[in-house]
Amino acid sequence: MATAVQTREPRFPRQPGSGYPLDDNRGTWGMALTIATEATLFVCLFGSYFFLENNKNRWAIDEPPKMNYAFIMLAVLLGSSLVLHWGEKQVKKGKHRTGRIALGITILMGFAFLFLSAFEYLSHWKELTPYSDSYGSIFYTIVSIHAAHVIVGLIMLIYTLILPRYGPALRSPYRPYHVAALYWHFVDIIWVFVVGLLYVMPNVRIYGF
Amino acid sequence: MSATAVEERLKTIWETPESLWGWFATVDHMEIGKRYLVTALVFLIIGGVEALILRIQLFRPDQSLVSPEMYNQLFSMHGITMIFWYAQPILSGFAIFVIPLMIGARDMAFPRLNAFTYWLYLVSGILLYVAPFLGQAPHGGWFSYMPYTNATYSPGYGLDFYALSLILFSLSMTGGAINFIVTILRLRCPGMTLARMPLFLYSTMTISWVSIFGMPALTVACLFMELDRRWGMHFFGMAAGGNDLLWQQLFWFFAHPWVYIIFLPATGMVSMIIPVFSRRPIVGYAWVATATMLTGAVGFSVWLHHMFTVGMSDMAMSFFSAGSMMISIFTTIQVFAWVATVWKGRIVMTTSMYFALSSVALLVIGGLSGIFTGIIPVDWQVHNTYYVVAHIHYVLIGSNVFPVFAGFYYWLPKMMGRKMNETLGKWSFWIMFVGFNVGFFPMHILGLMGMPRRIYTYEPGLHWTALNQIETIGAFMLGVGILVSIINFFWSRRFGEIAGRNPWNADTLEWITESPPEPYTVVHIPTVASRHPLWDDHDEFDDPGDDRVLAEGRLTLVSHWLDAEPFAVSKMPKETIAPLLASITIFGFFLSLVFQWMWAALGCVIATVLLAYYWLWPRENGEEIA
Repeated sequence: MATAVQTREPRFPRQPGSGYPLDDNRGTWGMALTIATEATLFVCLFGSYFFLENNKNRWAIDEPPKMNYAFIMLAVLLGSSLVLHWGEKQVKKGKHRTGRIALGITILMGFAFLFLSAFEYLSHWKELTPYSDSYGSIFYTIVSIHAAHVIVGLIMLIYTLILPRYGPALRSPYRPYHVAALYWHFVDIIWVFVVGLLYVMPNVRIYGF
Repeated sequence: MSATAVEERLKTIWETPESLWGWFATVDHMEIGKRYLVTALVFLIIGGVEALILRIQLFRPDQSLVSPEMYNQLFSMHGITMIFWYAQPILSGFAIFVIPLMIGARDMAFPRLNAFTYWLYLVSGILLYVAPFLGQAPHGGWFSYMPYTNATYSPGYGLDFYALSLILFSLSMTGGAINFIVTILRLRCPGMTLARMPLFLYSTMTISWVSIFGMPALTVACLFMELDRRWGMHFFGMAAGGNDLLWQQLFWFFAHPWVYIIFLPATGMVSMIIPVFSRRPIVGYAWVATATMLTGAVGFSVWLHHMFTVGMSDMAMSFFSAGSMMISIFTTIQVFAWVATVWKGRIVMTTSMYFALSSVALLVIGGLSGIFTGIIPVDWQVHNTYYVVAHIHYVLIGSNVFPVFAGFYYWLPKMMGRKMNETLGKWSFWIMFVGFNVGFFPMHILGLMGMPRRIYTYEPGLHWTALNQIETIGAFMLGVGILVSIINFFWSRRFGEIAGRNPWNADTLEWITESPPEPYTVVHIPTVASRHPLWDDHDEFDDPGDDRVLAEGRLTLVSHWLDAEPFAVSKMPKETIAPLLASITIFGFFLSLVFQWMWAALGCVIATVLLAYYWLWPRENGEEIA
């Protein structure tokens, strides 16, 4: 097309009389604001982590957390985000089946993440429990709250998975897919911060790069 | 279709069925707004009665009406009830009722979420008030400082109810904030650009953003408190490497913005009422709007001024002292705009105007004592004395309760179709105004004389007795004044003068509807050509093609957030019982957490998830879920 400006075709049949297409963006706005407030929740948690770091006789740098599981989990989550994004694009094209398969893979990867985090807990548990001191408390709290967000994300993804085609044209449920995916990407990005601040940083401070 | 046929059709589409099911399942913003108002007023009365018991206890030295522990529980419950369960929800009530009318929308952006946040608010209040019936109400004041509130010094369930009911409450407030932002940014009628929004929308949107970024700190603080108290973790308490100040930091990072959350919408209401009764547009619209938003933003960098006595670097203290001073500039801009509006206008002295004008005066007094406490040496002197008590009551009653009453006298005719009685209203105003000043002004003096806050009694011979007695009399007068207004409400509901569409000859869109408004508000969604749609020549209902009737279902117009150009119609959900059921299961979850019934808690979580699926499941053809 030679024209610079393309008119956007309304995705939905026009309502009789009103002349306007159906709004399909409300959920995205709601989800964006939910993510904003949830992100602030994690900012507060990280802030508390650094506040507690200031006055401690034992802290992460004395015995930095092992990173092997955290990195595998990071790879799983980021991979799941890629799969989900690909699936979202398929659904937007109307490829309902492919989108669902991608969603299923994402959900499996999410469960794999939770499964791995159980091992991750076990690998720390001998030296550090939530009850040992403030470092243990804040460490396990942040990791567990993130895990809780993964569970909420999975609940949304499972809902999208079982959602039938609906609407006058029996179209594929693209908008719920999009909204749930937004939340899933958010949860994944938070894990990047958790790994960076709670795992990598103490290790770097002790051992250097 | 003829005009009446269209009206009938819209009415059947939008009406909530009049049945028990309809009562519980309604998603109508007017119904929910009124419920917010009534519930918050009930909390005002409960908190007020608690305050009166405190004042009787302090009437004489060495009084023994209540025990010290009982006194602690009473003042804590008074503070928590007033600051959380009354002050913000009552403003939400006005906003939920008025805002969709004000912007020409047919409901809030998320009607079911709207119902859900109301039910959550209600059950969080119930959760809080379970505690007194166990004899274990929270007793650490409304800010519950560590280490007094840890498991060692505060055994029992009181503070667990405090922490968990506040988390539940913050869920409700966050949901409400999301709803307000999306409603205000997306559902404004054609032509109502950002620069033509009524000022009440600016203040509500500002506090909604502040809630989005402020409430999580409260959630985190309460979560830490609960984990520390009941689950053996160590966030506070130096022994295991925790830090008691973490509580104060998190709490005030939330709670100072919270002060603006319960203050700004009230100033927004004053900015609506004063111009109408001065018969002219507000002076400095853009200044007031900007000052409102800046108050919200800068409100995030003043929280340490609650902690000047904690001990911190001079740099930090100077920064937060300066931030606190900066806020007073923004407030002053608003005050001068109101004064100039009155100055240049032709005043109509209705009861509503009485309340609005008096709130400006009281806000100035409260603001000035706030500037004093913002100055660090003065703060060190008056910290934890009655001076601070005087300050917060001047700010919160002066710029929350008085504007709220102005709002009642102003908007109740829209809600119930009849005007409030002016004679009774003015009686109520004068009793409240005199009672409030008699009751609270002497607290400044008592504070400077050294009377600490939160003491359950005092000895004779300290020269505190007379002032305390005056205060008690004033507090009872304030209560009587509020009672007169409540009587006025019940009288006017039956015998009041019929209001008609626009009893005050006001300028904003809510006055274009019937009083009380039809469930669909108006047949043609209006258009707007200026800031004062009802004072200009533009015909809001001009709609030759019937493009803005939208009688094909529960529909409302969606417009661009900046220039309010309509580009879509939004489908609104029907009545559903899911929000109520979900809030009950969430209530069950939090109640089980208090007593650590973990299987019950898990059951509630599963039930909530299933309810969420039921809630969101697509039902009819074409219904949009997202």
